[in-house]
Amino acid sequence: MIPKTTASAAATRPTMIEFREVQKYYGDYHALRGITATIRAGEFFSLLGPSGCGKTTLLRTIAGFEDISSGAVLIDGKDMSNVPANRRPTNMVFQSYAIFPHLSVAENVGFGLRRDPRSKAEKAKAVEEALEMVGLKGYGPRAAHAMSGGQRQRVALARALILKPKVLLLDEPMSALDKKIREQMQVELMKLQRELGITFVLVTHDQEEALIMSDRIAVMFDGEIAQLADPETLYRHPDSRRVADFIGVMNFLPATVTGESGAGVSLDVAGLGRLDVAPDQVAATRTGGEPAVGFRPETLTLLYEGQPAAAHEAAGIIDEVVYYGDMTYYDVRLDGVDKPVRISMRNVFGRPVLDVGTRTRIGWAPGALVLFR
Amino acid sequence: MKSPALRLFSLAYLVFLYAPIVLLPVFAFNDGTIIAFPLKGFTLQWFDDLFTNVNLGHALKNSLIIAVSTAILATTLGIFAARASTRFDFPGKAGIMGLIMLPLVLPEIIVAVSLLIVLLGIGIPLSIFTVILGHVLAATPYAIAVLNAAFSSLDRSLEEAAYDLGEGKISTFRLITLPLVLPGIVSSCLMAFTISLDEFIIAFFLAGEQTTLPTYIFSQLRFPKQIPMIMALGTCLVAASIVLLTIAEYFRRRGIARTGGKDTGGFL
Repeated sequence: MIPKTTASAAATRPTMIEFREVQKYYGDYHALRGITATIRAGEFFSLLGPSGCGKTTLLRTIAGFEDISSGAVLIDGKDMSNVPANRRPTNMVFQSYAIFPHLSVAENVGFGLRRDPRSKAEKAKAVEEALEMVGLKGYGPRAAHAMSGGQRQRVALARALILKPKVLLLDEPMSALDKKIREQMQVELMKLQRELGITFVLVTHDQEEALIMSDRIAVMFDGEIAQLADPETLYRHPDSRRVADFIGVMNFLPATVTGESGAGVSLDVAGLGRLDVAPDQVAATRTGGEPAVGFRPETLTLLYEGQPAAAHEAAGIIDEVVYYGDMTYYDVRLDGVDKPVRISMRNVFGRPVLDVGTRTRIGWAPGALVLFR
Repeated sequence: MKSPALRLFSLAYLVFLYAPIVLLPVFAFNDGTIIAFPLKGFTLQWFDDLFTNVNLGHALKNSLIIAVSTAILATTLGIFAARASTRFDFPGKAGIMGLIMLPLVLPEIIVAVSLLIVLLGIGIPLSIFTVILGHVLAATPYAIAVLNAAFSSLDRSLEEAAYDLGEGKISTFRLITLPLVLPGIVSSCLMAFTISLDEFIIAFFLAGEQTTLPTYIFSQLRFPKQIPMIMALGTCLVAASIVLLTIAEYFRRRGIARTGGKDTGGFL
């Protein structure tokens, strides 16, 4: 795994992009509902959300392809309202890659240098360097339309980076690639971003991709940012049930609040019984819905026969077993709860895979719970 | 093609379609003024007549001027309309496009007569210029139909990418849009040219004293002696069409090969 920028180092960086109360209407449709956020210089930032949440629209307001109805977008401290897309210090990698099919690979990559006063030889050298950077050294004379999907993406990347933009915008760049190439490209993009130090803004609907690659992620629903945080915070301390549900798998059990003090909240949780959670385990956004506690599948453990009792235990029956090779997912119906909870177990050597219908004990940790209410 | 009846029908269909055209060169070289078998002998006299006929030369020149002007004007208008209709949404778009496409189904004689009345009414003298006006009106819908297909198959993000890389709106159009829709533009020019070249009714009404190739041919059919020369003319036109279409098809295929697109058959 490639180490990401540490949180303390990132926090001291200057602001690169600032959204101030950005509103966008398409006729009656309210696409962006008052977006206020900052993206720091040199950050790998992702806009994550389901289709129609406004993430692509927000990206296009940075590029200048989309006018905003009100508010402001600032890049490197400058208001971009009257700056057209071709004068902004941003370049984009399009979802379709938008490779010019009638030009060669080198002509595609060098397209942005047309107005550059440098000599032909210097420009050719810059193109060759850009191609080398994306691992396409020597591909220059080839016809762009004859390249494979993964190669096209590299061409698009080289073409966008040759202008040395302050911000690189990536609109779902990996959605058209197959799994193997996608994973390879994710790693290469992260490496490239760290080497160049350019701010990357990635739009994706793939939560796994966002978690892997980003320094920080803005999760968007219905034209609003639901939560903006680093991947670990998003995963462990989601602000709302909706964010928790969108990122990874989260189990929910209905709970009743029995008491509340500065030291935390006392709960009675179905299947788990009476317990206390600390203040930082309470989700920030109150939706007013039925209270529930959430926990990730890997925070629970199946206790095999003969294993000593855990500090916190519950019992249930295995409802479903999904075998993944390295992992096994168990759906366990806890005593007194209808909806099964999902538990993931690493298949370490010597550990058996249990059958459906087996009665089992599970161990859980109160510190891993999140209260939503 | 399994059933013998179907096979026979297909054969009869092709014979009916092409036999008259095959007969053109046969009688163009036949040494006799009567169009009937048996053939008399070989002659090049009709071609000699053709190339020394001053009136015909004049009509041909008129027709070429009209057809080339029509091709350029109709295609230029078509580019604007096709780009507007594929890239932008504006109020009344469907209605406006409908009105532009209407001449496609209007009887040509109605168009010709109403144009004649209007032109005479505002006092524009009839000439090949008025024929060009009429032909542009008739050919533009076809040009738009061809160009619409070319523009709508163009990925919009290609233009955005060029713009994003620092080009202006006009240079983006010149560097990206134009080369990619060029096969459509060639098709459109060719179609408008062909429509104009053999158009009779509008030319007949609006040409005034001038003649075009079709109106000249029509006027000569009254004289049986001239018919073999018309056959020779027809032979030249067929040969020219084949050459023209071959060139157009060559460019279309080359364009597809260069951009790596899928060959959807074009209009041929």
